[in-house]
Amino acid sequence: MATVASRVASAARTWRSTYRLSDYANFLFLVPATVFFVGWQIYPIIRVFVLSFTDYKYLERNPPNFVGLQNYINALNDPLFHVGMLRAFAFTVAFVPLTILIPLVLAVLIDRVTTPWLSSFYRIVLLIPAVIPGPLVFVLWKWLFDFQIGPVNTILVEWLGLFTRQTAPQWLGGTPLSLPAVVIMEVWWGLGYHTMFFLAGLAAIPKDLSEQARIDGANEWQLFWRVTVPRLLPILSILVVLRFGTAMSVIDEYLIFGGFQRTSPTYTWTVYMYDLAFRIGDWLQGYAAAIGWLGAAVMMVFVVGMLYVFRSRD
Amino acid sequence: MAVTIRHYHRRRLPTGLIAKHAVINLGVVIILLPLIWVLLMSVKSLPESYSTNFWPRQFDFSHYGFVLTRIQTLPQNMFNSIFVTLATVAITTFCAILGGYALVHVKLPGRMLLIWLLIASLFFPTRLLSLISIYEIQRQLGLLNTVVGLIFPYVTLNLAVSILIMRGIFEQLPHELVEASRIDGCGPWRTLFLVLLPLLLNGIVVVSMVNFVGVWGEYLLAVTLTNDQATRTLPVVLASAHSGMGQWAYPRIAAVYVIAVTPGIIIFALFQRLYFKGLTEGAIKL
Repeated sequence: MATVASRVASAARTWRSTYRLSDYANFLFLVPATVFFVGWQIYPIIRVFVLSFTDYKYLERNPPNFVGLQNYINALNDPLFHVGMLRAFAFTVAFVPLTILIPLVLAVLIDRVTTPWLSSFYRIVLLIPAVIPGPLVFVLWKWLFDFQIGPVNTILVEWLGLFTRQTAPQWLGGTPLSLPAVVIMEVWWGLGYHTMFFLAGLAAIPKDLSEQARIDGANEWQLFWRVTVPRLLPILSILVVLRFGTAMSVIDEYLIFGGFQRTSPTYTWTVYMYDLAFRIGDWLQGYAAAIGWLGAAVMMVFVVGMLYVFRSRD
Repeated sequence: MAVTIRHYHRRRLPTGLIAKHAVINLGVVIILLPLIWVLLMSVKSLPESYSTNFWPRQFDFSHYGFVLTRIQTLPQNMFNSIFVTLATVAITTFCAILGGYALVHVKLPGRMLLIWLLIASLFFPTRLLSLISIYEIQRQLGLLNTVVGLIFPYVTLNLAVSILIMRGIFEQLPHELVEASRIDGCGPWRTLFLVLLPLLLNGIVVVSMVNFVGVWGEYLLAVTLTNDQATRTLPVVLASAHSGMGQWAYPRIAAVYVIAVTPGIIIFALFQRLYFKGLTEGAIKL
């Protein structure tokens, strides 16, 4: 075993240390991916960055003028941008803990199911939402939350008797409940995928470890906090950062749920950016670009901060 | 060993055991209920669709026939979705195999830098930020409002993840295999296509699934880059069909919905064994 490992290591070492000119020919493998990356990701992002310093309006014929930092200054004084950022944060703060904790509990429970067919049944059911594309999930939940035919209200009114047909909650259309509605939907969507994520992490925890802890007199609660959670911490922290990123830059579900109503809690900075770039006036893409970069910069500050806090210390 | 565990459960955790299965099954019900609801909606009669009955009194299967034959643009929309998805999945998987191979099994200067760039791109709101200029690029290339044009931005959506997943799969393959193949006289290209390709099945399944799910339902780019009913994809049609009247009466949209969601679930059911295997080998490690 050791000899194999050392042989692989030495092979890897000689492999890395000497590059010849012909090795650069191996970049050919990356050409197809690079074409797409450069054309539809790297160049557009740089281009958007350049635009953010101009007064570029898409539908205007005059060439754009360089305006320096004016767009950024305007954005920082723009109440819609402030509100938009706050709304995105509100969603993130509600969504991220739920979408991590609920699947974590579910995964810990399913991990203990010892009947093979039952355990694989649960796993298959859990992954069903993960194979339904996001926007199709959003469309489905828009119907589920519908005031009249939606089963969410049917359950609240007819099954649980919490409301009458008249006082039933209005989930959609920019009411304050639109935000919890999106949160519920997003948690549902991520339920299976995140549970699978944790199950894979749990499978890597040696079974003797929890057995030993039980023998030593640990109860299930202690076992969870002292053994399971520390072992899952790497997966947990990476998931927090990734979900923070997706939650802050959510847009499809806001467009499908709330549209472009400025008073809606779903009108976040992303929707505002889209509104500016493709709908308002002459399509104020220069300003929209500044909003986009500013929002992304705020996100990155948090992401880098979290990665720093969560860095592995061993 | 198994005996002691079972004994342990019986002695101390009968309520715990029940609670455990109750919680799991609650999760299962919460996941399945919305999907069962939409399935039942698609077989309700038109008048009943406005009632709040969960279980239809009378099954009416005519809506599937109606949407496929009487909504004129729908076959076109379905074709658009299928075409864009197949093309994107094929191209992305191809790029990801080559990319993953390059990052693991051939000499590549600056390899770690590339890997870090790919990982960093996962944390950045790329899709959102690039949107403004993708519109401009598509117009300049004459790809605006075309179905083919959607393929280009779609490939990039999950390309970084796909390459990283394939990298994880390639790392499972022993270096000795590559060495042996090289000693036998295969260049890096022949090694990849003749020796390694058959061993990548799990990874190809996972990458295809990730891209299928990402592209089959993509909304933001599709709604921004296409305009006409004839160039729209299924998710855009479904998201805009909210009146609940006429050809878009609820059971009919529900039928379209079931048609749109079923392929993913069937593909997943067929490949789930390979998918789970590939997921644990490649995706979790990233």
